[in-house]
Amino acid sequence: MTDAADTPEPDEIESPHPVTGLDDVVHQRVRLGILTIAHEARRVEFGYLRTQLELTAGNLSQHLSVLETAGLVQVEKGYAGRRGRTWITLTSAGNTALADEIGRLKLLIARVETTDTQDDR
Amino acid sequence: MTTESVPAGGDPRRLLSDARDLARRVRLDQRVTWLPLLVLALMTFGAIPAYRYGRVISDCHPANDGQVCTVWLQTVTFYWLAALVLAYVVIAGGYLRAARARGVDTRVLPYAVTGVALIGLGFAFAAVWTHLNPLAYPEEPSAFAQFLFRLLDPPGAIGLALLVLAWLERHVALLLFTLGYLAVVLVPINFGWGAHWGPHTWFIPQLVINGSALLLGSAGFTLAQRLRRPR
Repeated sequence: MTDAADTPEPDEIESPHPVTGLDDVVHQRVRLGILTIAHEARRVEFGYLRTQLELTAGNLSQHLSVLETAGLVQVEKGYAGRRGRTWITLTSAGNTALADEIGRLKLLIARVETTDTQDDR
Repeated sequence: MTTESVPAGGDPRRLLSDARDLARRVRLDQRVTWLPLLVLALMTFGAIPAYRYGRVISDCHPANDGQVCTVWLQTVTFYWLAALVLAYVVIAGGYLRAARARGVDTRVLPYAVTGVALIGLGFAFAAVWTHLNPLAYPEEPSAFAQFLFRLLDPPGAIGLALLVLAWLERHVALLLFTLGYLAVVLVPINFGWGAHWGPHTWFIPQLVINGSALLLGSAGFTLAQRLRRPR
């Protein structure tokens, strides 16, 4: 005879835990922030990102480089008058990665809340 | 500012709430709401001389016991077409310039395109309707037709396009303002003024009310933006 409590729920067997699908490149506070801002702004200037995320230029450049290597953002350098400006745009892969990450975070929160409720019983 | 490396991952609730907060801040920085309201208010006030002194072409032919006339406010039609296309070009340009100076791009282009398309649609609708449903005085179009005419008339079309801007920017205050503006346009305020002013002046109060509503909205959003921004 099998104990009912040990039997996994059907949806637990079919769908893996949301944590397993998290992408390390995106699942990081600053990089998620960069992707969120770039998604909302369509195109965002380096200085704006630096101010909003409260980072040094070097630190922000490192994160941008990780995202650019992963093909999630596109970095363009140009001029506004005499001032050099760097613009960051989300690629379609970046858009998908951001949507996936947000979806997984929501799933994770839902899963944690469900577990908490079951533990309380 | 910090040079510390940020730990990977984190509490999912905090990550989501941070992302939402960042998105909200970007949306605030993208808005230049006072600009379209100001430009459209000026265009509305500018329509007054076009109505007052503009050329009116009427084509009359005898009917059963009188005559049927088709009246075309030629100057007014050309004024609204030119003024609103110019207005949307100025708004799109100004919006892009202001948002880019802050370091972000903006979603104003779909609004400008919708605005211009609605103007074209409005005039096309009026022309087709008048051609298909000629009315002999004192007949009046049905209540539904009158509602559609008011909605697609330039002041109504301005409101419809503003609804699109509110949706694009997820701007609840603009949505509420626009609904109020549309109520003023669709349910004209009439205290009997202009009843004996003649055909060239009866519309002035409504244009003044529409333009003033837009102007007040522009002032209100400017004030709200100034109060919100850190000095």
